[in-house]
Amino acid sequence: MPDASSPAFSVSVRLGRVGWRDQTLWDSLDFTLAGGQWTCLLGASGIGKTTLLRLIAGIDDSADAAVACSDGAPLRGRVAWMAQHDLLLPWLSVLDNALLGERLRGGDRRGRRGAARDLLARVGLGDKCDARPASLSGGERQRAALVRTLMEDRPVILMDEPFSALDAITRLAIQDLAARLLAGRTVLLVTHDPREALRLGHRIHVMSGKPARLEPAQLPHGVPPRALDDPALPAMEAEIVRRLADSAGAGR
Amino acid sequence: MNDAAIAVAGPVVKPARAAARRDAAIAQALPRILAPVAIGVITLLLWEITVHVRGIEPYILPSPLLIAQTLIANWGSLQVSLWVTLQTTALALIVAVVLGVSLAILFTQSKWVELSFFPYAVILQVTPIVAIAPLIIIWVNDTRIALLICAWIVAFFPILSNTTLGLNSADHNLLNLFQLYGASRFQMLRFLRLPAAMPYFLGGLRISGGLALIGAVVAEFVAGTGGQASGLAYRILESGYQLQIPKMFAALFLISLSGVCIFLVLTLVSHLVLRRWHESAIRREN
Repeated sequence: MPDASSPAFSVSVRLGRVGWRDQTLWDSLDFTLAGGQWTCLLGASGIGKTTLLRLIAGIDDSADAAVACSDGAPLRGRVAWMAQHDLLLPWLSVLDNALLGERLRGGDRRGRRGAARDLLARVGLGDKCDARPASLSGGERQRAALVRTLMEDRPVILMDEPFSALDAITRLAIQDLAARLLAGRTVLLVTHDPREALRLGHRIHVMSGKPARLEPAQLPHGVPPRALDDPALPAMEAEIVRRLADSAGAGR
Repeated sequence: MNDAAIAVAGPVVKPARAAARRDAAIAQALPRILAPVAIGVITLLLWEITVHVRGIEPYILPSPLLIAQTLIANWGSLQVSLWVTLQTTALALIVAVVLGVSLAILFTQSKWVELSFFPYAVILQVTPIVAIAPLIIIWVNDTRIALLICAWIVAFFPILSNTTLGLNSADHNLLNLFQLYGASRFQMLRFLRLPAAMPYFLGGLRISGGLALIGAVVAEFVAGTGGQASGLAYRILESGYQLQIPKMFAALFLISLSGVCIFLVLTLVSHLVLRRWHESAIRREN
């Protein structure tokens, strides 16, 4: 579970130019993930959000990526990943999927089984431990993926639009669940949904323009997950949408 | 938190409903079995009647009943031949699986190995087995091994190409995830690529099962081996020489029956392996 007692470290990211064919996605991007907080990166589709996450995670080395943690240790091995698609292995049960990391590390899967069952029960999948992903709904699968991310027990979580494929009601429920279960961890959430960023983010960066630039972080009031009817949100959302639309127009 | 609201999304199958579903499945499956059986029975009846009404000689076209009688009367020798052919087929299929899967794994580990060897696998595949079987039979002293090699050549390629395709078809996002979790090359193979390749491999296996039988029979025809331990193709050749056409049909029937059984068994294996997770084996919900 989140180890809130140890102070979370912050992560500073400095990315060099990334281009694809003759297009430049961005010349450079600098930002910091505040320790123990959710940082949201908002941008339109195709702006290179997934590439950005892959660079930070170190599974893409096609561009310069300087990632430094405030505690001096490398980030490698301290990152978990949650993607738009649940990325569950279809041939494994939900429980075995949750224990995938343990299996790859050759760890004590038997001993961790109890913890995985508890977590699955907490997200409402207590009776689905032995089911295969194919028999779950989209929301259930994404909750199973969330449990697997939690079982990794990594201090930094990278999220690539993990809620975007869900219907509105399910999305709200899983956003709340994720905010609750990931409290105290350092999260980077990339999304194209301003409302999602406003609900979940402690800090929100808008990524806009071509090549993309990052605007300074906005710090909405209140503690995430913010209620949908928070009176401050609609005005901020309108402002963000306007800026995203501007940048899309400027790119044409 | 409204976990409960979304937790009820999945269907809960009650025992009574499961039984009802099973009955429905049987009701659905029954016509699928009965229809081809009915066609078969009608065809055999028409055949039997035509032979008798037109007075067709048995050495031109024997009636189904005569073929059945011949099959029973000659069961002793036919059964030995059947066993020989099936042994060749099974061994060829096993060797094809072992070599095909191993080579496919080697291919996915190194692009250069794949680029260098794959064209030769294709050449092996496109060369008609009838054309190279005589050479193989001349080069290899032991006829049984020569037959095995011929059947293997025919059965090998679908497994190799399908498994290679399957191993390369693992979801790239999953490969990224495994990389992030620090999985070794072997772990990627063992926990991701191999399971992902399973449906492709099983598809190839079903094709290769039939091809191994064809390869074995064709090679037997070319070799024309005599003696006690020779396969069904030899029985067909022998019956042809002796104008024992009913026996020829009986041997032919056994070959077809073997082919159908191989296909059914491999289909069952494929279904059992994939039924829990793969799209091809999961019943559609709508």
